[in-house]
Amino acid sequence: MALIITCPVCGKRNGYEFRYGGEDKGPRPDEAGLTPESLCDYVHMNKCVAGVQKEWWCHKDGCGSWFAIFRDTVTNLERPVRAENHQEAGRS
Amino acid sequence: MNRMNHLPTLKIDPAQKLSFKYKGKTFYGVKGDTIATALFANRVRIFSRSLKYHRPRGLYSLDGESANTLMQVDGVPNVRCENTLLKEGMVVEEQNVKGSAENDLLGFLDQLDFLMPAGFYYNVMHKPAKLWPIAMKHIRKAAGIGKTNPEFKMPGKFDEIFLNADVCVIGGGPAGMSAAITAAKKGLRVILMESRPWLGGCFEFRSKAYQNGMPLYERADQLSKEVASLENIRVFTHASVVGTYNNNLVTGFQTGKEKDAFTERYIEIRARSIVVATGCTERPLIFENNERPGVMQAGCALRLVKTYGQLPGKKAVFSIGHDFGLETALELHDLGLAIDCIADIREDGQDPGLLKRIADQNILLLKGWVAVNAHGRKKVKAVSLATLDGTVTRRFPCDLLVASAGMTPLTGPITLSQGKIKYDTHTGLFLPDALPEKMHAAGRVLGLEDPMAIEASGKLAGLKTAFDCENCSILDMGQAKKDLEKLPGPVRGTKLVTAPVKGRKSFICFDEDVTIKNIKQAIDKGFDVPELIKRFTAAGLGPGQGGIPGHNLPLFTAKYQALPDISIKPTNVRPPLIPTLISTYAGAGHQMLKITPMDEMQRSDGGVFRNIGVWQRARYFSDDFSCKKEIENVRTNVGMLDASTLGKFRIFGPDAVKALQRVYVSDMTKLKEGRIKYSAMCTDDGCVIDDGVVVKLGENDYYFTTSTARAGQTAEWIRYHTRYDGWNFAIVNLTDAMGVINISGPNARKVLQKVADIDISNEAFGFSEYKEFMIRETVPVRAMRLGFVGELSYELHVPSSYMQSVWMMVKEAGREFSIQNFGVEAQNVLRMEKGHIILGSESEQRTNLLDLGLGFLWDREKAHAKTVGAVALKQAENDQTRLKLVGFKMENNAPAPKDGALIVDTKIRGYVCTARNSFSLNEAVGMALVEAPLSTIGTRLEIFEDECGDKRIYGKVVEMPFYDPSGLRMKM
Repeated sequence: MALIITCPVCGKRNGYEFRYGGEDKGPRPDEAGLTPESLCDYVHMNKCVAGVQKEWWCHKDGCGSWFAIFRDTVTNLERPVRAENHQEAGRS
Repeated sequence: MNRMNHLPTLKIDPAQKLSFKYKGKTFYGVKGDTIATALFANRVRIFSRSLKYHRPRGLYSLDGESANTLMQVDGVPNVRCENTLLKEGMVVEEQNVKGSAENDLLGFLDQLDFLMPAGFYYNVMHKPAKLWPIAMKHIRKAAGIGKTNPEFKMPGKFDEIFLNADVCVIGGGPAGMSAAITAAKKGLRVILMESRPWLGGCFEFRSKAYQNGMPLYERADQLSKEVASLENIRVFTHASVVGTYNNNLVTGFQTGKEKDAFTERYIEIRARSIVVATGCTERPLIFENNERPGVMQAGCALRLVKTYGQLPGKKAVFSIGHDFGLETALELHDLGLAIDCIADIREDGQDPGLLKRIADQNILLLKGWVAVNAHGRKKVKAVSLATLDGTVTRRFPCDLLVASAGMTPLTGPITLSQGKIKYDTHTGLFLPDALPEKMHAAGRVLGLEDPMAIEASGKLAGLKTAFDCENCSILDMGQAKKDLEKLPGPVRGTKLVTAPVKGRKSFICFDEDVTIKNIKQAIDKGFDVPELIKRFTAAGLGPGQGGIPGHNLPLFTAKYQALPDISIKPTNVRPPLIPTLISTYAGAGHQMLKITPMDEMQRSDGGVFRNIGVWQRARYFSDDFSCKKEIENVRTNVGMLDASTLGKFRIFGPDAVKALQRVYVSDMTKLKEGRIKYSAMCTDDGCVIDDGVVVKLGENDYYFTTSTARAGQTAEWIRYHTRYDGWNFAIVNLTDAMGVINISGPNARKVLQKVADIDISNEAFGFSEYKEFMIRETVPVRAMRLGFVGELSYELHVPSSYMQSVWMMVKEAGREFSIQNFGVEAQNVLRMEKGHIILGSESEQRTNLLDLGLGFLWDREKAHAKTVGAVALKQAENDQTRLKLVGFKMENNAPAPKDGALIVDTKIRGYVCTARNSFSLNEAVGMALVEAPLSTIGTRLEIFEDECGDKRIYGKVVEMPFYDPSGLRMKM
């Protein structure tokens, strides 16, 4: 894995230090009115884009924080956080 | 053989002899020799036999591009003898021979090539179908070279290093060194990787003039001294790059020198910028018998003399296509090699200086001629030269034919990281076209031949890396670029691919015995691009990783199909570029296991340790692995257990309880201070991943435990499931900071009371309560009254540094009651008798909370918490298709089945999780996961055990817990 990931706390680090947390799908849905099917979609269905996606990473061997980055799934290169998403993509 | 020991370029020390065994006899090489050059010095010319036709093979290049010189060394098969330095006492053996390499009984196969056209194994042997098993047996026997012994253990020490640098320079030749020096002088941290054991590249062995009469080898020396003088360049010699990846990741391995602490070590480098200065290898000339021992490349012939001090032959013919070939001929002639003729593929364009010197030496030079056939059954005895159109032929007796068609830039590191290469009509080379971000090329890999230009390109690349690291201005770079442009650019190269031959014995790939004829067969069948040809004919699939067919394959493919332009690309190269030992990737093989603070003391108490997850734990305390004594002691007296591996966490802050509500199925708002709650965590699918207890320490402050296996992931898990909420809480992993001593048994209170400084009577410290107190008025502990093993039991959570002291105090206090250690296995039986589950034993990935009968833990009235798993559990409530956990007893006092035994009828219906012969109950009991219809009390279970054949054993589903169902003993 040739990833380099920018942790908002620790800076650019070797990809081995991180755990992938999946595509960004927004906050957990409310339980009211939630069917097992829609929960299943939220938990398990992915877009699997070939291109830039927003996704979550955990700096497991570092500060331990979860954060979102934009990564090009084709080149594995991290892309700068787009301005309109800046707030969402910050630290949780 | 006497070495020429007067040459200044020698890398050997002829005074230091090294003995080694070859074919059972003792031979001598000298210090600095590779195994291949030592054998060559001992007049070994046939090193091996080829894979398919068992043709004799000899020394062809010196950098290991082909399998010709693979041998078994000290029991290790396929050692690359051109790249491995000779060591005293080595035992070297030939490979892929029946008899010897000199006289191989399978040599006749060479005459049967007409039976083995390209891809013959796809075309024949499958009809009739019966033929295949027979053919397969023989093909399997013939396939592969070198033999491994399954018992063989790789000797040596292996290591790995992971480095960060500003700049990584691949290749320690003049361009690489110039780049490294330039970058280092800009203040950058530089790593320089060189695959040979020394720096210098194509300068180091040549006497050609560099400037002011200084020969190239002296310039190489100058540069390497400058590299050594710069502290911010870290040099790795004898270190091959095997992979480059995006984000500028470079991987490789280094072979250890005599005094190094490693035999080989894996190197992984992350650099901000990369320079590829890998240079060129020679492009093999293709003609009949072009791999006969005695045929070698120009660089090989020259380096044999200049580096290893031995003449490659007595009487030579040259068939070359570049000035480097002419230069080599002149140098070798000066050193005493008789040269009968030089055939130069080029009609014109030679360096006039070289032509004059050749004329002065009266060497016959045939322009526009090329070798068409090497004669001699095992070694070259004569060679036929012909004009390029093949109309005129002349024959010269000789024992050495130096053959080289052109150059092959080593673009592997560029294409591996998605860079592009393109055929260049001027040089006839595949040159870098589009380089990946922050990767730069320098030197001969760009087609440059002029020494000054090679260095200037290195300097420019060095500045480009500095620019990548923001240490260099565009202006500086512009100047360096102008300097480079003033110097001679790439020279026109020869386009010749093959001599005018039919190609039945003209080998394009040595490792897999692929001839030009085979390539033609493949193309005629419609496999018309190199990637397909490679797979159909196996050209380039051998250990040399395509080093020999390399760029010849696309060139020939284009030529044979008369393509108007060479848009065909060479086959993709993949890591590892150089064959790497698996041991090198495996590294040092550390046993990465954690030990508890009680490790030493439990060992001295006779603990039998086992690796359990990431821990080493005391599993037994005697040779009796049924643990009868340990178990009975806990049931009737008192025992102590080291439970330090439990996951331990503190979570605090205004939103701590919200976070707990999210991940735990129970309602944590109901938890009162000083009370303990047992609960579980589920996944979003309702499957149980963890169970443990939660203690409320105070307002917004909780302490909780997790199972041993989950200790590493719990903080991450909680943060993951709250990542969108922006809650204010902190979580601290105390797993290693705290140890745990479990004191269990009817006498537990008496023991603990002796050391505790508070009243711990049943009234003062009841079941399921939490207390903080001091042990012997010195050590603060957190105590929980739990009942995992089903007896009166205290769990003391102690700061790790105090663990040994507290352990000794408890042991001392328990002496009058004969307190005993008990291990993990005894605990396992005790809790099983009590019907308490261990996740991972009584559950698997798909087991949910309800399956385990733990539904009572789930609090459904907290939808606002969005509890992980709650929605799935609601759905699973009515699901009758799941496996349920049940307790069972064996019929007729039968012994317990093995863990994992299957519950069957006509199909598999479940499996036994844990089953033991219970000493407390005097019968065999266990827990099993079975299909829901089998889970009613009284159901007879049919159990299949490994190797029991038609026999079955039977059990009966019973109520749990087996032991003390009313739970009085742990509350007493």
